[in-house]
Amino acid sequence: MSPDLSIVMLSLRVAAVAMLLALPIGFGLAWILVRKQVRGRFLIEAVVSLPLALPPVVVGYGLLIVLGGRGPFGGLFGDGLVFTAYAASLASAIVAFPLIVRTFVVALDGVDPRLELAARSLGAGPWRVLLTVTVPLAYRGLMAGALIGFVRALSEFGATIVVAGNIPGRTQTLPLGIFTRIQAGDDEAAVRLVVVSIGLAIATLIAHDYLLRRGGLAGRRQRAGFGA
Amino acid sequence: MRTERDKSGVLQFSFTRTQGDFVLDVDGDFGPGITALFGPSGSGKTTMLNCLAGLFRPDRGEIVLNGRDLYRGSTKTFVPPERRRIGLVFQDGALFPHMSVAGNVRYGWRRTPEGDRRVDVDHVVELLGLGPLMDRSPVSLSGGERQRVAIARALAMSPGLLLLDEPMASLDARLRGVVLSYLRRIHKDLQIPMVYVSHSISEVLALADDALVLSDGRPVASGQPSRVLLDPAVGGIVQDEAIENLLDGTVSAPGGDGAPGGVRVGSVDIVTPPTGRAVDAPVIVALGAEEIILATGRPSGISARNILPGTIAELEPVGNRVYATVDIGVPVLVALTPGAVDELGLVRGQDVYLVFKTSSIKLLDAAPVAPA
Repeated sequence: MSPDLSIVMLSLRVAAVAMLLALPIGFGLAWILVRKQVRGRFLIEAVVSLPLALPPVVVGYGLLIVLGGRGPFGGLFGDGLVFTAYAASLASAIVAFPLIVRTFVVALDGVDPRLELAARSLGAGPWRVLLTVTVPLAYRGLMAGALIGFVRALSEFGATIVVAGNIPGRTQTLPLGIFTRIQAGDDEAAVRLVVVSIGLAIATLIAHDYLLRRGGLAGRRQRAGFGA
Repeated sequence: MRTERDKSGVLQFSFTRTQGDFVLDVDGDFGPGITALFGPSGSGKTTMLNCLAGLFRPDRGEIVLNGRDLYRGSTKTFVPPERRRIGLVFQDGALFPHMSVAGNVRYGWRRTPEGDRRVDVDHVVELLGLGPLMDRSPVSLSGGERQRVAIARALAMSPGLLLLDEPMASLDARLRGVVLSYLRRIHKDLQIPMVYVSHSISEVLALADDALVLSDGRPVASGQPSRVLLDPAVGGIVQDEAIENLLDGTVSAPGGDGAPGGVRVGSVDIVTPPTGRAVDAPVIVALGAEEIILATGRPSGISARNILPGTIAELEPVGNRVYATVDIGVPVLVALTPGAVDELGLVRGQDVYLVFKTSSIKLLDAAPVAPA
């Protein structure tokens, strides 16, 4: 595998694992924020949004302290997560998390809770209501949240370089690879990766559009009803 | 109040729920017919329905449907809404916008165990005249169509009880007649007990076998609608509304070109404005209780076209009015002043004549007759 291709594959893998982590948790948290009356709501929202307001380097440094050998969770993962691809995923997930939660909150807030209650009274349990009513109705917003999160994870730099390092073949994702090549003065290699980066961004946007279009009945009917 | 007698209905309940300053504290039972839940806004009607359906949890008490505990505070029994088999029709339908009409109607049916499917979906669709709408999206439906789909959706899961939360609140007067006659038809055909929330006395009188009146979270009267709604305890509510008699009929003479129309209600013919409908078309005659003159003898030399003999079945004073229920084959409510009642010496059982002008009558669309 050419080094460029392996960088792309690693970046996609790191971002995908980050989404595997951030999307379900983000959905759960957004659902709780929208549907439940929780105490300390402001505090939760502030903590969730914090990575958005902080420089990613600070987030990375925080992770390094928490996960590092002398940190509280240092021994938890054998040799530790620090300077592995999983650390890169974790860093990306945390930085993307506020964007995901905020978009999900807006998406779920648009679903009339009475529709969920109607589904319950029609014999659907809570999980089935989630799958047949809540998610299809919030589909577009959820897709947008997932896209924004994925794109943010793909472009993560500051937190990743602190907690995962910049190890070629292990933790060197696209932004880190570009940074390294610029530093080395290898403009040709840097531009190659920049072009790949742009291509990846466009591909993601096209995939997003495609998924929205084939959002089944949900997408079509909503467009028919509210888009006209 | 019926709390003293044995509870024998389909649904027995006695529960309390506190929401902030508001306390709902109800006790009673609903029979197999159509029960109207009546009361001013804020009296707890919707909260009560939500408790019955399991969407809200009472603080304490019990709810028993056909002998099955749905809620019992003492044993911490709480059957979740999806296992209660209680149909709930929301004010504006609450249809799923991402599904077709067919998808909506089949949603609950699909989740009904095969052994519990007593209602045939096709039959419900036909009964409510939804055939041509099945492929449509709910967002493209009119208010009346939406309500019919919502009712069909709730019926298709074979509910043991159907709760309707002001299904006509968002409909204009013309459509009310249609939904009203559909509800009557459903009840006759499927024999599913219904609880119908309304703050329209006219609707309740036209539809319900029983009525429970709530005020400030408590039941204040219950029993036969024409008695209960005219109960002095309820008087404050009644005075606010111009009561209309809503009488089911069929067109006997279409009228037009200067000729009046005619509608047969029960065994009597009523002269109406031109109907604009074909002979035998179902129609609802709306006639205000204030629009009717009551005479002790047959009047002559009078321009009003309708002079119908009947017998006074009830006389109920409410506020500054006395309401007479006159049986002309069907019960008709007439609003009188106490002075007029004294002067004429009206008593229960007396033979009288109802006099009203053709122009006092409004005709409302009824549901078309379902194809055989």
